[in-house]
Amino acid sequence: MTVADSPKRRQRETYLIFIALCIFTFINLMPLIWAVLTSLKDPRDAFTIPPTIIFEPTLEYHRQVWFENDFFRYLKNSLIVSAGTVFISVPFGCLAAYALSRIPRRSAGPILSALFTIRMFPHMLLAIPFFVMGTFLNLIDSYVLLILALVAINQPFTIWLMHGFFLEIPRDLDEAAAIDGCTSWQAFRIVILPLARPGMTVAALFSLLLSYNEFLFALVLTGTDTKTLPVAIASFGGEDISAWSLSAAGAIGIMLPIVIVMLVLQRHLVRGLTAGAVKG
Amino acid sequence: MAPLAIRRATKSFGGFEVLHGIDIDIEDGEFVVLVGPSGCGKSTLLRLIAGLEDITTGEILIDDKEVSRLHPKDRDIAMVFQSYALYPHMSVAENMGFSLRMRDVKPPERDRKVQAAAEILGLTPLLDRYPRQLSGGQRQRVAMGRAIVRDPKVFLFDEPLSNLDAKLRVQMRAEIRVLHKKLKTTIVYVTHDQIEAMTMADKIVVLRDGHVEQIGSPLELYDTPANAFVGGFIGSPAMNMLNGRIGEGGRSFVTDNGAELPLAAPPRIEPGRATIMGLRPEDIEIDEAGFPAQVQLIEPTGADIHVNLEVSGDVLTAVFHERLGLSEGQSVRLSIPVDKVHFFDPDSGDRIVG
Repeated sequence: MTVADSPKRRQRETYLIFIALCIFTFINLMPLIWAVLTSLKDPRDAFTIPPTIIFEPTLEYHRQVWFENDFFRYLKNSLIVSAGTVFISVPFGCLAAYALSRIPRRSAGPILSALFTIRMFPHMLLAIPFFVMGTFLNLIDSYVLLILALVAINQPFTIWLMHGFFLEIPRDLDEAAAIDGCTSWQAFRIVILPLARPGMTVAALFSLLLSYNEFLFALVLTGTDTKTLPVAIASFGGEDISAWSLSAAGAIGIMLPIVIVMLVLQRHLVRGLTAGAVKG
Repeated sequence: MAPLAIRRATKSFGGFEVLHGIDIDIEDGEFVVLVGPSGCGKSTLLRLIAGLEDITTGEILIDDKEVSRLHPKDRDIAMVFQSYALYPHMSVAENMGFSLRMRDVKPPERDRKVQAAAEILGLTPLLDRYPRQLSGGQRQRVAMGRAIVRDPKVFLFDEPLSNLDAKLRVQMRAEIRVLHKKLKTTIVYVTHDQIEAMTMADKIVVLRDGHVEQIGSPLELYDTPANAFVGGFIGSPAMNMLNGRIGEGGRSFVTDNGAELPLAAPPRIEPGRATIMGLRPEDIEIDEAGFPAQVQLIEPTGADIHVNLEVSGDVLTAVFHERLGLSEGQSVRLSIPVDKVHFFDPDSGDRIVG
């Protein structure tokens, strides 16, 4: 290889990588594209084989989803549950993770392993105990029960994630803060927590995604009052073929709030995911 | 400004004792350096004073007040960390003013004190910058600024210069010294570098394996080391140590390798007693009437010449200020002025008054 042809070669490589990424992205977006198209089609067009490319688009099913199926009510339920989960999970997760990052490793290790085990547990097996506990406490079909259940299954991840972030904040800073006149709590709040902000953003987003999209617990633990969007959308469908367009429109609807949040927080998210990869 | 006293302080981690009953008295305004090889417990001792580690037994008194159970924030101390430990999300001014903020000093007063400290350390143009925008030397200065802004009773320095390059280190060494003269605050300074200890300290505490080996002024330690360890640790190049015994009539020192080194005057040690003879490299003299040695290695440093000399199997390091025109392999004759020789007990390592 000569020096002269190397930029050309590099350019060709860039093109190849770009094309590969396009294909990869297309494969990933296929279900979404299909859902978007289906939501705009009449059910009869939606199931023709081969699929029709040219059809008369209709927003009828979107209208039905948003205005005839209590979409806003379910969205409100979803947002309450998600917000509740995030606002409990992240602060408590941060406290636990900070403590674990500051106690000796041999004490923190078993706790972190135990948390990991909880994470590995199939959710199906946890749903039933939660249902039984909920019945016992008379909390079935309440936000509290679903939020607590989601916090419980989400917490190991939040703690693990934040633990990594706190470990990277040097202990000297805690000590400098103590000497400068901080109590442990002040040192955490004023010095450590602001430095862990990228981590908290990531933890909050993941908690949000998990709780917003969660289906199984929501199905088992909610009722008519607290039904969340995923459960509601699933019930649009069923075996009735004509409802597929409606389901697809619901799926697009459920995505919108999350897409908006992601767009707003994208910058923080990428920074949070890569923070600590290189020493800053 | 306050005196500091450490009484019978011990520290154990788990069941493992790392400090074994430390007693140190530090006077008001004194600059004390804790020095010793790594693992000697000097940083642990500093952290006990700061309150970052709990003392196991014993007590620490700052300004005659027992503080060993107090939280660091209640001890009225300031500390400069090896890593500087500046708060990355705060500007230089916020870093320096942080301790005042935590003590509810009003903003105008706070700004005035930060300004004054910045003035002393030449940080005024940097007050709005963030730590990541500063060089190592500037960070070091901010860390000191953060310490002095509050006018604490005691300053603690934990190897503050070890992350700087050699030239900057020498410069900061002098600056800290000047700063101490200006502020007259009690300073406890930890280092493993004996040159730092010698050049900065009013009083040096030499530690080894959690014991105090000797406390004294730099020149006391240099001239009359309490034991072979201190003798070897203080001074560069290190003191030569020769195992042997006092010869007949006290007129010579006979090394274990059989060389007989004449002593100009008999030491007050009974002849025949096994001893370690400690000999500073700069005290060895070329003397035609002396004992024979062979030049093994010559290391010119510019100002001085370090020469390794072989004396029947033992190697002595000597430092000469004059350019003697020696060459490797050459035979020379040496003598040792008796008043510059140190004798240590080979078993305990303690100094033998001789």
